[in-house]
Amino acid sequence: MMSKWFVYGIHIGGWDLKASDPVQFHRGWPGVGFTHSLLYGVVIALLVWKFSGSKTWAVSFLIGQWAHAITDIGDTVGTMLFFPWTIHIHLGAWAYAGQTGRVTDAAAYFSGPGGIWDAVWIVYGIFSWRVLTRSYFETHVYTADQFWTKANRYASKTALLVFYRAAFFYGTSRWIAWTLWAHVVHHYPYDLSWGGPHWVHAAHSKSLSGPQYVGVAAIVAAIVAVAYASRLVLARREPGPDAVEPE
Amino acid sequence: MRLPGVLRDRPSKQQLAVFAGYAIAAAVYVTVGVFYTDFLLSVFVGAAYLLLVAWLVPAGVRRLF
Repeated sequence: MMSKWFVYGIHIGGWDLKASDPVQFHRGWPGVGFTHSLLYGVVIALLVWKFSGSKTWAVSFLIGQWAHAITDIGDTVGTMLFFPWTIHIHLGAWAYAGQTGRVTDAAAYFSGPGGIWDAVWIVYGIFSWRVLTRSYFETHVYTADQFWTKANRYASKTALLVFYRAAFFYGTSRWIAWTLWAHVVHHYPYDLSWGGPHWVHAAHSKSLSGPQYVGVAAIVAAIVAVAYASRLVLARREPGPDAVEPE
Repeated sequence: MRLPGVLRDRPSKQQLAVFAGYAIAAAVYVTVGVFYTDFLLSVFVGAAYLLLVAWLVPAGVRRLF
């Protein structure tokens, strides 16, 4: 969100502001590609925790940023997920077309597997419709974060509920709107094949070498091992339901 | 065959009425967005729009009548 305007370019007065190499700027190093890494998420989450004092906000940011960085490995450029290691992890499932400008990028994204991936999350949200109800908001969301009680001093609970629902409303509505724009108003062709749509000039990252694959596998294995060990340690610390209080 | 919980749970009539209101708001947002795509770019614009049509306007109307 903070870097896309410079990828697409903007026109202010007589000035055209646009990255000379949009792909390098957006996903590379040098560039702001490090913002799509796991480490960046951790660093910013720690800063959020320190300055807001809220672990909920910090963890929420971390989940959102990791979801973004991991989702973007789905395209043909991918992300430097393990920055400062600067290789691009990419699955190549849908075309990266940011360098073509906002309009063509949107048309391509909502014509290929990327748009379908968005739709998967919308369907998942619809199946989980109860999380959008007033009772769920009041019982689970409102009570979990002091932000809501503080905001309730200035706005009614109904207004806060509408604000809470806005994320799903926005995500779903913009998906429908861009899809209609691309396929009803402009008739861009669908191409749901792997790496599609192939009618757009997609940017690509180099394929990983054998040793790089081994390195990625080692990092993933280390992360899984640390997560599993942490879980075991936490399980030992927490007393079970049959635990007896020491006398 | 027994359906999974998420399929068995049905929204109440009141919840469906609330959903209908949001669906109308979404239809307007989508219609404007299709012809003026800048409207679709910002989550803040989306949230402001929803607060306007799903809270401020109904609250204002209720106060008037």
